[in-house]
Amino acid sequence: MDFNLEVLKGGGWKCCFSAMASPCEVIFDSTDQELVNKLSHDLVTETKRIETKFSRYLPNSVVTQINQAAGEPINIDDETSKLLQFANQCFELSNGLFDITSGVLRKVWHFDGGDRIPSNKDIEKLMALIGWSKAQLYGDNLCLPKGMEIDLGGIGKEYAVDRVVQLLRQGQSGPALVNFGGDLATTSSRHNGKHWSVGIDLKGLGENVTRVIEFSQGAITTSGDANRYLLKDGIRYSHILNPKTGWPVQNAARSITVAAPTCIEAGIVSTIAMLQGKAAEEFLKTSGFQHWIFR
Amino acid sequence: MQLDNNSFAAALSIAACSLLSGNAQAQTPEVTEPGWQFESAVMYYGETDRVQALEGIFSAKKSFEDQKLLNLKLTVDTLTGASANGAIAQSEVQTFTRPSGNGYYQISSGETPLDDTFRDTRVQFNGQWTQPLSRLYTVSGGIHLSNEYDYLSLGVNASIARDFNNRNTTLSTGFSLSNDTITPEGGIPLALADMPNYSQGKFEQDGWGSEATNAQYLATRSRDSDDKTTIDFLFGITQVINKNLITQLNYSYSQVDGYMTDPFKVTSIVDSEGITRRNIYESRPDSRQKNSVFAQAKYSLGESVVDISYRYLWDDWQVKSNTIDFRYWLPFDYGGYIEPHVRYYEQEAADFYKPLQLESDQIPEFVSSDYRIGDMTATTLGVKYGHPNNDGTEWAVRAEWYHQTSNDVGVALPGLLTADDVYSDVDAVILQFSYKF
Repeated sequence: MDFNLEVLKGGGWKCCFSAMASPCEVIFDSTDQELVNKLSHDLVTETKRIETKFSRYLPNSVVTQINQAAGEPINIDDETSKLLQFANQCFELSNGLFDITSGVLRKVWHFDGGDRIPSNKDIEKLMALIGWSKAQLYGDNLCLPKGMEIDLGGIGKEYAVDRVVQLLRQGQSGPALVNFGGDLATTSSRHNGKHWSVGIDLKGLGENVTRVIEFSQGAITTSGDANRYLLKDGIRYSHILNPKTGWPVQNAARSITVAAPTCIEAGIVSTIAMLQGKAAEEFLKTSGFQHWIFR
Repeated sequence: MQLDNNSFAAALSIAACSLLSGNAQAQTPEVTEPGWQFESAVMYYGETDRVQALEGIFSAKKSFEDQKLLNLKLTVDTLTGASANGAIAQSEVQTFTRPSGNGYYQISSGETPLDDTFRDTRVQFNGQWTQPLSRLYTVSGGIHLSNEYDYLSLGVNASIARDFNNRNTTLSTGFSLSNDTITPEGGIPLALADMPNYSQGKFEQDGWGSEATNAQYLATRSRDSDDKTTIDFLFGITQVINKNLITQLNYSYSQVDGYMTDPFKVTSIVDSEGITRRNIYESRPDSRQKNSVFAQAKYSLGESVVDISYRYLWDDWQVKSNTIDFRYWLPFDYGGYIEPHVRYYEQEAADFYKPLQLESDQIPEFVSSDYRIGDMTATTLGVKYGHPNNDGTEWAVRAEWYHQTSNDVGVALPGLLTADDVYSDVDAVILQFSYKF
């Protein structure tokens, strides 16, 4: 299995690997090397399983099968059904702002820092293929209108983090911190009332700012918009696209960090907050989740 | 339908729970801003046969929401021991009046005259607040207050920095303003006045405390206290070159006005045979303009970090100095680190610096024999070791050795005087223990 185990300064172990296009690490507050090694093996296997199953880039993934069904209903397994039901809830809770069918907009929007803005016509054409409400999900049966696609990129990594946390708890890992590319969750509080010191590293988002917070339990995710944008005629187009208009969200925050009981909740809240544009503060404040916002 | 807040969180929680198969252990998140971070340190500084200082430092740091940062620092130090008074060594025993006028001290033949009156406790407080002003601007403001028996220093500072270029470049500018008041015991001596010599004349006849000796002493005093004002301007640029290298370049300009003479320092007036006839109180200009350029590079070699800096300082007293500082931070696997430190300093003397004054020459308006503004080179060698504890605290020890040599400024030495009588070396050790919690 492809992972590295490192002894940590001050005790403990760190398991590092790469998955879902992100650096992944799990920090164990444990000195039991045998257990850490076994759990590392299990958690990397589980993460790769989720990645292989739900990546839209892999030809044999469930998502690829769904996207290639061409309007025909297909049978989906229990796990996929649960993920889609969750996505459905989020679609409703966000009043349509969180939409797993909006990925097709990437065909015309290329956020490479350049100035290529698609035409209204191009966007209009794609809008017909967007809208989760057009999908029919009944238990283990899904029917997606022809030409429409789903993309679970917005929840896949967070889901993997939560699954790994469950797996570690079942395996009696003791306190551990799971960090998949900035999406974090803990199995439990650390020994002796210590905290996990977490740097919200905005460097990865193109900023040389690290913000340290202390984290004892729960999950934290960060959504950002620092590096990926288009610039034309002095207007900055955020890579956060509004699925209802097909256009970038205006006045999107540079980064939003949210704390929640699970990673998938934190991820959804930070994503929806980004989609709120200038109303993000208002949304976060009334949602009741602890948050950090950078403009 | 957009749900209201509470039902939004509740509905999301139910959805997540159902997705994660009723994850019974879902935890309320507990995230906090870091609390106060404290650091305490005790430092010992000891010069061979001279000044010894013991310093206690207590600092507290707290970060608040939105990257606001508060730094507070309290320093208490006590100084004991002796410091060179500027006079040269002689083959005879020398007697010097104490700065207060209340007595005298004697120096054996061949010894560099040291004034052992130094005994002082200083309390210093610094407070600094730093926060972002907008997305790319950071501002900072602070105060400092330092008080000791005969010295009071008050200051304020402010600076602003702006990030450019994806925060790879930071330009900053700032100023500081301070006022220092000195109230030496016995008052401020008249510049260039003769130090009263109690071992001769009136003292021998009348003894201590007589009207005549008091009058002799008071004739050398001008006022109780004096002050100086310092304004500093700083311009800096910090540039991230790549992920391993960060560089910094600063220029600072400093204008000092007021009393900069050291009331405890004298210059020996020497005859053609090299014998001290008398000692006069030193005299320095009341204005000084200092410039300095500072360049620093920090380079990361994987785990370890090399930190090299250079400073060039020049002023209108013609003091010029070069400082090269090198540190190498080397961490160990268990979280400890060791940091060797080498510093080299060289200085060209102020234009009015003279280790002695010939009796036959006209006494200039400004003269000082204080070795600290003379020609010198100084080397520091040190090492620091830091050790992490399991409870997240850290202790560190630092040991440094300092060697300073006063260099010959080319003044002709009359009679039997040798360079050893006029120039002396300073050796010191610095030991520090610190604890972060």
